[in-house]
Amino acid sequence: MSNAAASKTTAAISPSAALGGGPLGSLGRVWAIALNTFREAARIRVLYGVVILVLMSNVLALVLGEMSIYEEQRVSRDVGLAGISIFGSLTAIFLGVFLLYGEVQRRTVHAIVSKPIQRWEFVVGKYVGMALVLTVLVGLFGAAMAAMVTYQGGGVTSALLKAVVLSWCEVLTVAASAIFFSSFSSPFLSGIFALAMFVIGRLTPDIAAATETAKSSWIRLVTKVTLEIVPDLHLYSVSGRTVDGDPVSVHGDFVSWGYVATSAGHGFLWIVGLMALAALLFSRRDFA
Amino acid sequence: MTDAAPAAPASPSQRVSRVSDQDAAIAVTDLTKTYRTPFRRRKVEALRGVSFRVARGEIFGFLGPNGAGKTTTIRTLMSLIKPTGGTAQILGHLLPSRAARMRVGFLPEQPYFYDYLTVPELLDLAGRLFGIDRATRKKRADFLIDRVGLGRARNQNLKKFSKGMMQRAGLAQALMNDPDLVVLDEPMSGLDPIGRKEVRDLITELRDQGKTVFFSSHILTDVESVADRVAIVARGQIQTEGTPSELVATTTISVDITMRVAGLADDKVAALVARGPGKSRRVADELHVVLPADADVDAWLAAAYADGAKVVSVSPRHESLEDLFLRHIGSADSSAAAMEGRV
Repeated sequence: MSNAAASKTTAAISPSAALGGGPLGSLGRVWAIALNTFREAARIRVLYGVVILVLMSNVLALVLGEMSIYEEQRVSRDVGLAGISIFGSLTAIFLGVFLLYGEVQRRTVHAIVSKPIQRWEFVVGKYVGMALVLTVLVGLFGAAMAAMVTYQGGGVTSALLKAVVLSWCEVLTVAASAIFFSSFSSPFLSGIFALAMFVIGRLTPDIAAATETAKSSWIRLVTKVTLEIVPDLHLYSVSGRTVDGDPVSVHGDFVSWGYVATSAGHGFLWIVGLMALAALLFSRRDFA
Repeated sequence: MTDAAPAAPASPSQRVSRVSDQDAAIAVTDLTKTYRTPFRRRKVEALRGVSFRVARGEIFGFLGPNGAGKTTTIRTLMSLIKPTGGTAQILGHLLPSRAARMRVGFLPEQPYFYDYLTVPELLDLAGRLFGIDRATRKKRADFLIDRVGLGRARNQNLKKFSKGMMQRAGLAQALMNDPDLVVLDEPMSGLDPIGRKEVRDLITELRDQGKTVFFSSHILTDVESVADRVAIVARGQIQTEGTPSELVATTTISVDITMRVAGLADDKVAALVARGPGKSRRVADELHVVLPADADVDAWLAAAYADGAKVVSVSPRHESLEDLFLRHIGSADSSAAAMEGRV
């Protein structure tokens, strides 16, 4: 440790003069946490396993396609989109449930929240970082599927693109729910809650139909309340179903960009709501 | 005209007590923190009305045994914990305050950082959270890495760092914003003697730069050697507060006497020992006697001379910080035990 050098350098750079919240303020702090979260997630080896698994499922789709009769591209698209939705959502749950809990358990949060960052900025930064990771994953999965479809002589249609965007919205919504649960419970419980939310969210039309036919008023009440407090993930997985009375399919006539935008807005509102609740809960916590 | 007696100069602690909360670096008033244990919901009082002031520009040692409330107090100051009652101000800002945190550097106890980062990356993250621009971040990080002696390890992940290296990295990130107040929770913990001396030197240097340093420790020598003022905390309460000299120099706890008793008959030596109310120990031709502070030392010495003993030394023993510390910890424990007995 050189004292002479210390005094000289301290006087020369005078960082206090450069302080003051920075040019970007909250945005800069959120971005700092997001970048760090991205860096952390990129080092999780399980993610590379997930990528390999998805790539293998695409290869499997090629094999299954060969076994079908003139339906190679259909199989590739279905398997590819299912891979994005299921593996993307499971990855979102896996990452999300450890995100805040891990920070508290490892006490890394102490050195961060003692700095001039608001707790909500920390929570949002963690989410943005995770969303970046998931976006890269969905991009990779989508690119793998596009490569398979192109290899089979098909093209990347706008329907396929819309389906990928919808799956991406679904994955980001599931990630928000996982972080929300992670703000107050253990990874195990958060995982169970988030998984339940994913399954219920995917089955909303079926649950709604069952509600109508249920004889018990209690069951009707419980299912109605459940449907209100769970994001409608079915919105993002509409291929093969009916939208506004018209059957839609990623292999034929699909939803409009307007529908995609509306569904994305729906997801965005859920994400904002879940993040607000997570930030509220996280800001009330003691880090003893 | 009357001859007014000149006012006695104020002691450092009196001067600090006159400092307003606005002017103090840290002003803590009646801080309490009560936890509930999981499941049984039993009340645990971690802080029971902690109050103290830290003047700007001083080194303040927060001394106490493990579990005394040091870390809880510090975490409350750093807004990691919400107090149950009382108030705290840092640099004139009532907590919680983001403006206060802008001017504070903090080293947590047994610091844990993202172990996949290198030191420059850790410092860059800290700098970003303070809103420091990129060029300044780089300069400041380079300077601090050299300052804490991690130049050779700058490209290593923190995962590979020893405890001492992690402590140095923690000190570097605490200084990234060139803070006015540096709060260090057990900064010497886990360091070897050289590392401890370097941290002590760094603390003194920070004070010389005009910064305030507030640090906790359960190691008496570390506090005694650098702190301008000290508070002893035990069982969630401040037991005493002041400069080390104020706290320890005024009280004489015993008088140590050494005398030569060569040539004295054993019965005379035995009579000498029996005369005093203190403890004694004979080593070869020397007799060491420890008399209580209130003993009549002159009479005792006169009798010893009369018996033919030769006095080698007479030295009053003042209370050391360790004695003071143990006395307060002991009294805190006994009063708490009495309280529990009453309940």
